[in-house]
Amino acid sequence: MNNESKYNIGRIYFAIFGLIVLAFGAAELLLGVTGRSFEWGLLEMSGEFLLWQGIILFSAGAFYLSSFKNFSDIHQQAKVVMASAMIWIVAGMQIFGMILESIPGGEDGGWFNTAEGFLETYAGPYIPELFLLPFSLVVIYYIRLNRQK
Amino acid sequence: MRILLMGHPNVGKSVVFNRITGANVTESNYPGTTVDYEKGYVRIGHEEMEVIDVPGTFSLEPKDKAEEVAVKMLERNKDSVVVCIIDSTKIERGLYLALEIIERGSRVVVALNMWDIAEDKNINIDVEKLRQILGVPVVPTIAVSGEGIKELVSRISGATSVKIESVMKNVGGS
Amino acid sequence: MKLSVDERWDIIDKISKETVKFGEYRHTLKDALAEITVKPLTGIPIAIAVLYGFWSFFGAFAGFFTDGFLVKLFDGHWLPWLQDVFPGGLGNWFYSIMVDAGHMESGVLVAADNCFESFGVLTSGLFVAIGVVLPAIIAFYLFLIILEDSGYLPRLAVLIDTVFHKIGLHGFAVVPMILSLGCNVPAVTATRNLETKKQRFMMMTLLAIFIPCGAQLGIMLDVIPEYVGFVMLYLFLGFFVFGFILNELIPGKSPEMILDVPPYHMPTGRNVGRKLWARLRGFFTVAIPFVLLGVVFVNVLYLVGVIDWLANVFEPVLVGWFGVPKETTAPLVAAFMRKDLAVGQLMGIQEQLGMVAFNTYQLVTSVVLVSLYFPCIATVAMIIKEGMQDRGKGVITFLLGSLAVLMAVVFIWGGLLHLIWIILGVA
Ligand SMILES: Nc1nc2c(ncn2[C@@H]2O[C@H](COP(=O)(O)OP(=O)(O)OP(=O)(O)O)[C@@H](O)[C@H]2O)c(=O)[nH]1
Ligand SMILES: [Mg+2]
Repeated sequence: MNNESKYNIGRIYFAIFGLIVLAFGAAELLLGVTGRSFEWGLLEMSGEFLLWQGIILFSAGAFYLSSFKNFSDIHQQAKVVMASAMIWIVAGMQIFGMILESIPGGEDGGWFNTAEGFLETYAGPYIPELFLLPFSLVVIYYIRLNRQK
Repeated sequence: MRILLMGHPNVGKSVVFNRITGANVTESNYPGTTVDYEKGYVRIGHEEMEVIDVPGTFSLEPKDKAEEVAVKMLERNKDSVVVCIIDSTKIERGLYLALEIIERGSRVVVALNMWDIAEDKNINIDVEKLRQILGVPVVPTIAVSGEGIKELVSRISGATSVKIESVMKNVGGS
Repeated sequence: MKLSVDERWDIIDKISKETVKFGEYRHTLKDALAEITVKPLTGIPIAIAVLYGFWSFFGAFAGFFTDGFLVKLFDGHWLPWLQDVFPGGLGNWFYSIMVDAGHMESGVLVAADNCFESFGVLTSGLFVAIGVVLPAIIAFYLFLIILEDSGYLPRLAVLIDTVFHKIGLHGFAVVPMILSLGCNVPAVTATRNLETKKQRFMMMTLLAIFIPCGAQLGIMLDVIPEYVGFVMLYLFLGFFVFGFILNELIPGKSPEMILDVPPYHMPTGRNVGRKLWARLRGFFTVAIPFVLLGVVFVNVLYLVGVIDWLANVFEPVLVGWFGVPKETTAPLVAAFMRKDLAVGQLMGIQEQLGMVAFNTYQLVTSVVLVSLYFPCIATVAMIIKEGMQDRGKGVITFLLGSLAVLMAVVFIWGGLLHLIWIILGVA
């Protein structure tokens, strides 16, 4: 496959992904502004930082979409990279927080958490950024591709 | 003998200083980290020399307190060797300060720092030619990895003061 | 011979023609990233993401150590153990300075059950310094250092500056402002990069008054987690309002800062580690002794009755104007030494007085007052030193000027918060 078609696939992939990200961002923003929360299966949108997460996710979505034109241009690529990095920040901090939360025993417990308590921390539900995280990793392929050029 | 490390802000003076003196001065990637001078020592041959990390300055007409310190340092130490550190990616701006220092009659050694970034950016500097024109030692360095620092130090004792007229003649002449 | 500026550039032009060849250069991803981080449209969301990342990291990291382990250690083991073995016991003067002063509950002197309340050198002093502030500042400094070393700091500064200009704010020095969040002391020194005396005076004064330091932030996060955002916003807002007013009032110029934006670097572990270590060493050798001394200082004043006397003198102002209980006098005195200590003490006082006599809004007001009302002693010393360098004999006017601004700010900005609570109907 030549580079041009690789970039074309990327353009379409990130356009679709961008729309999904944008939609989640908008949902978080709306819930954040109105002070409500949402839960469905393993997905949840709640918490004190919801508004901020919404702003970040919404902007990331907008970055993805705005890279549609001239997708292979390095400046457009930078936006895709940044958008993905923004998702990584939110998701990464969520994971980091979970890990740190799972270790100590809590107010009434012992020094360290019990095995069940430890696992329970990871049981979900999760914020949308965690679901979006794996799909945003595709950008790494394009970073490599840019470097080869 | 004293050695002054001078140059624009954020060109790597403090990194060079820490390398040659083993000191622990703050290095950061923003201009204006060092606002006061710092002293350290280096042994060259049998001589113990005092090295001074001078705050970054754009020119010898000071614009703020930190630059004032820099200019005062130079004035107070007329007989010291000035290691003029230049960011190789912004060589023209750096040469401006270097020329100013040369005009004042100080002995000068020029370090072309950030050589790695200049290479990445495909900037080619003819070091030998620059040395001929300026008439002072010119050494490419990469302060963060230590490349060229040894040579830089070895050139310090060979530093001479040159007349700006001879620089003018050298550029005009070829 | 001395050349004129033009002659110099002329020579440089010739030199560069002969020695430098600029080869073909295509923008790399790094350059493109560098660009989009300073353009407001893309830069602002990115900055929000970075700050969000920092805030969550800060909260999680500090919470892990403080709430996860250190509170348990200090309240559950250290305090009871000391109460058990320390000679003297409740009521003894030395015991009350070192371990626990106790407090009156329906006419009986009872022992404290946590390290905020006890207010002894070995209990509250160590708990505040090591249990709460240390984990917070490790996280905080780590972030600041990465900000400094990566090259994002000047970009963030340029971005903020651009936004300021759009809303008509000029001449703010953003880099010292951000550094100030770590500690006010080096930020005061960083004002040397400003061009005019006016700017240096304005920035030093405003930074010292309005910007809370990392240590204070850390303990606020532990004590009033839901309100830290609000307190910060209120303080920053004050910074700009008073900055704007001062800029108009003080004669002189505040020229624009033109900040050179360096390329991004990957921070090296070696340099990050070295700088973190230097900061922590500073914390252990300077800050912790000050915290402990602060406790001694306040406790001695308590014992000899000075605090109660001050509390009665200032009661009309504290209660009437700021709407906080007179018991906040002691933390305000402690704030001379260390702000983090003062905030910790406020928490202890709330626990003693109860939520009714000292509600959360009053707590928020007192935290704001602690931030505003006087810089910590280390910052004051640095301001005096810099002022002397800057003004020579004029340092007296300089300091009186700062003090005047300080008084005005405390009364106006502190009183305004009380007014806000009254309007909201919560005070
Ligand atoms: N890639 C590269 N980076 C360098 C080199 N030398 C220094 N740096 C980086 O450049 C930045 C600035 O270095 P400093 O030594 O703090 O600069 P300074 O000249 O002391 O700056 P001021 O104190 O502000 O005047 C740091 O982030 C260094 O890691 C070099 O040769 N190559
Ligand atoms: Mg420096």
